[in-house]
Amino acid sequence: MKASGSRDADPPRGVEVAVSLVLRVGVVLSAAIICLGLALLVARGIISNEIRIDAAIPYPRDLGALLAGILALDPASVMSLGLVVLIATPFTRVAVSIVAFALERDWRYVVVTALVLTILIAGIIMGKAAD
Amino acid sequence: MIAVSFVAGAAGSLLGLGGGIIVVPVMTLFLHIDFRTAAGASIIAVIATSSGSAAAYVRDRLANIKVGMLLEILTALGAVSGALLAGRLAGPLLFVVFSLVLMYSLVPTGRKIVSELRGRTTAHKKGDAVAQDRLALAMGLEGAYFDPSLGRVVEYRLRRVPLGAAIMYFAGLASGLLGIGSGAFKVLAMDNVMGMPIKSSTATSNFMIGVTAAASAGIYFSRGDIDPFVAAPVALGVLAGSLFGARILPRIAGVGIRIAFFAVIAVIAAQMLLHGLGGGR
Repeated sequence: MKASGSRDADPPRGVEVAVSLVLRVGVVLSAAIICLGLALLVARGIISNEIRIDAAIPYPRDLGALLAGILALDPASVMSLGLVVLIATPFTRVAVSIVAFALERDWRYVVVTALVLTILIAGIIMGKAAD
Repeated sequence: MIAVSFVAGAAGSLLGLGGGIIVVPVMTLFLHIDFRTAAGASIIAVIATSSGSAAAYVRDRLANIKVGMLLEILTALGAVSGALLAGRLAGPLLFVVFSLVLMYSLVPTGRKIVSELRGRTTAHKKGDAVAQDRLALAMGLEGAYFDPSLGRVVEYRLRRVPLGAAIMYFAGLASGLLGIGSGAFKVLAMDNVMGMPIKSSTATSNFMIGVTAAASAGIYFSRGDIDPFVAAPVALGVLAGSLFGARILPRIAGVGIRIAFFAVIAVIAAQMLLHGLGGGR
């Protein structure tokens, strides 16, 4: 990709295919899990006609409670899992890009992408610490 | 709520916005949802919009992933500092500042709309003419995509990358603070400052927003501000909307997007100003 030339005729590169795939899988997986959670919610009769937004139904606030809830097939926990998958999708996308750029030997972007991932992870650690 | 989310998602992916800017006001003003819960759901919606539409944009090369990755360093830094600062700064002041910045930024976009409507559809050629700056050259930021509405490949080069990157930091800051994607700032930085064609700017913005939002979403989640009963339906609605938006973007003329963008920013700016002057209520 260093030369300009007729790059337009190239098929999509590895990075583009990998990134696109990660995003698609993450979104579909997350949506499926959220739908499952909503289905469980209906099955358990927690909602009848519409979703009760203001009702204080408890939901898991950390990963430990989340895991316990999923094992118990708690609807709120299953929906939260879908949301966690959604949050994790961009993280995965960045991580996969590092590998894809490395395979293309585009070291400039391996550094750039690794830096982005570092900032993301540091943010979560700092967020937990500040909480 | 799902209907509102669908519209927000479609508008979001067309305009390069996260959709949060529509979700937050509607949820807080009409559905009377607590602001923190609304912001938490919004940040989820933002990730959904970005990922749902970016998957298609990346494959079509509308989104320039090199530009996106490089600028994400700044937006991620901004988002983390914004999420950590959230609640410690005077909110109303920030709303006022952002609304003024948005209003100011409407001026060049308005000028372009006027010149495009007069028949000078040179917008897609602007990238050809500019000299790349040193950073753009070193990082290989030039790009090309096929535009079906023009029936040809559009090639472009970028300039003023450092200034664009600086704006990206503030875009990230706004995102982390307010629970929005701040795609508006991202599009402005790429379209107006760096000279990227509008379609690539919105597509690349969508691509970047997911990472910006994920940077603060982890922090929101650990605080317990992501209520699945609100966020789950919003995420589904926005996702469906963004898939719809991504499907129709390549077929719409650039000037139409710019006019819609202009209108949405004007409304947002007014909303933010009122919100800020009203003391953040």
